[in-house]
Amino acid sequence: MKSNLRVLEGNPHRPDAGPGLSAHILRLVKSAPERRAIASGQIDAVIDPATGKAFLLPDAQQAQREDGARVRSLLALASDWSWEQDESHRFVSHTGAASGSSGVFDESIIGKTLRDPPFDTMSEADWRAHQRLLEWRAAFRDLELGCTDRAGGMRSVSISGEPVFDAQDRFKGYRGTMRDITLRKQSEALAQKPLRLACDTLDALAVQLCVLDSAGNVILANKPAGAFAAGSRGIGAVVPVGDNYLAACDKARGSERKDGVAIAAGVRQVIAGDSPLFRHEYVCNSPAGRCQYSLTVTAYPGDGAARVVVSRENVTERKRAERIPGNVTGHKVAEGGPIANSLLAALPAKDYQGLLAGFELVTLTYGEVLFEPGEPIRHVYFPNDSLVSLLTTIEGHEALEVGLVGREGMIGISLVLGMDVSSVRALVQGAGTAMRMNAARFRRQFRKSLPLQGELYRYAHAMLVQARQTAACNRFHEVQGRLARWLLMTHDRARSDQFLLTQKFLADMLGVRRAGVTKAAGSLQQRKLISYSRGKIRMLDRQGLEAASCGCYEAVKSHQ
Amino acid sequence: MHKLGRKKIDRSASGPVATTVVVMRLYIANNAPNSIRAIANLEAICKQHLKDNFKLEIIDVLEYPLRALADGILVTPSLAKVSPLPSAKIVGNLSDRSSVLHALGILEPVV
Repeated sequence: MKSNLRVLEGNPHRPDAGPGLSAHILRLVKSAPERRAIASGQIDAVIDPATGKAFLLPDAQQAQREDGARVRSLLALASDWSWEQDESHRFVSHTGAASGSSGVFDESIIGKTLRDPPFDTMSEADWRAHQRLLEWRAAFRDLELGCTDRAGGMRSVSISGEPVFDAQDRFKGYRGTMRDITLRKQSEALAQKPLRLACDTLDALAVQLCVLDSAGNVILANKPAGAFAAGSRGIGAVVPVGDNYLAACDKARGSERKDGVAIAAGVRQVIAGDSPLFRHEYVCNSPAGRCQYSLTVTAYPGDGAARVVVSRENVTERKRAERIPGNVTGHKVAEGGPIANSLLAALPAKDYQGLLAGFELVTLTYGEVLFEPGEPIRHVYFPNDSLVSLLTTIEGHEALEVGLVGREGMIGISLVLGMDVSSVRALVQGAGTAMRMNAARFRRQFRKSLPLQGELYRYAHAMLVQARQTAACNRFHEVQGRLARWLLMTHDRARSDQFLLTQKFLADMLGVRRAGVTKAAGSLQQRKLISYSRGKIRMLDRQGLEAASCGCYEAVKSHQ
Repeated sequence: MHKLGRKKIDRSASGPVATTVVVMRLYIANNAPNSIRAIANLEAICKQHLKDNFKLEIIDVLEYPLRALADGILVTPSLAKVSPLPSAKIVGNLSDRSSVLHALGILEPVV
């Protein structure tokens, strides 16, 4: 196209074939075969030896014109405007069907360059890059620019151009096309919106996410994952986009090796479709210290490149909370509200307030051991609604209950008597909450508060009575009477008519064989004092049970 | 200026083929109708009769009129056989197949 137009422009024999043309051709072409070929219309061009230039015959010219018109109409279809610039890149002409209607372009751009209004100023770097192209006389394609239309609105245009040379190969400027791409740009921006929202949401998650392809390469990762990857090493690191997750897992060394192998195997399983889900919990060293992570690998829906999603959550805090025995809140106890523990409730307000700052509300779970015999007492407990058995262990025998502590008492009474080592096992047998205090702090408080000393000495004595009575009771009384006593004591402390107790547990508490408990419980049930099934004991008739118990219950109670 | 490649001689090719390489120049006027026709006609002839044993140079006289004059070419399309000798020239859009074959020294194969 280029050479074609250039020759036409430089051709002195303009396409207007006058009557002189035939005579001119006859003068140039003398041989018979050539004249015949011309006559039969098989010749396109004749070369004039005088000028050294070729000129097209009328038919070829016509074809060329039609060609040009075809190209122009295609051009009009493909673009909104065509334009020409001079050697200094100033617009010298513009044409286009859309020029009037869309109002971006009018005569005012004549004499302007792409650097001038109405074109939106390009960034300095963009302009320099474009200028370099122009200096090289290179063609440019789809240069996207903003510009202001006549109404003052912003529009986007895409400009393509190529250099023009004359017959002597002198640079004459540029020419090209321009399209209005405002609508496309707007719809692109609209389409980006939900995508951006989704991306921002992923980045805002506390969970680290990455998406892997079938080979285990990371093809997408959210910001938390990216931030973490940048600051850590080993299996703890989430792999950056483009790297291979499996390779990173395989590379894990030392203590992380086992987890690395397990995670890689799990990821491979989910990629292969053998399993829809893989979970793994592990510990690793992160910049923030030793962290516990929960990692989940799930299959990615669809047939695309993405195959699995790996999500990883830092569960250090949660795990730490779970490790503290029965900790629900781990918070200091708020002031006010009724005081559940009767020892504390009996204290004057001033003394109670003094203790309060050191208390921690904890939840005790069934079967939890607070102390073992011979262990230092680290905390004291004041049960609110929990129930704790104090057991003495003798080698070769099951543990035997020597005391029962509920909301009327305290666990860790040895401290009060000057001993900081436990002599019994403290076993939680009724789940509930308790107020807990650090042993050292408790000792300080205990020394400071006379009312507290008084309460606790009295309680220590009651416990002593209980232990003495229990020792005698276990030796002399029937199992049925002892069971009734034990149930009554539990009932007093648990404040509930129903307890969960297995026969094995009861047998241990009372120091008898299971068969003995079965028989005694069966007898009490027959007398409709209790109901007993599958470890659930319900008290039906408290007065009847008091009558059935041995006198030890009353004896102990009178001392409390 | 276009050049159709000179390729390796394919000995296994069937049909009557010239044993020596035929060197030709085709003079055309850009994409004028007869010029395009001439290229198409010549390509078909070369494919059928010369296989790979030819070298063709296509010269646009609108760009290189002096080369045409130097070769004594006044009108396009024109085909000049350069070698083997004797050299020959044929004008027109090369639609007359037999005269092209004669000019190139290849006889029309017996069908």
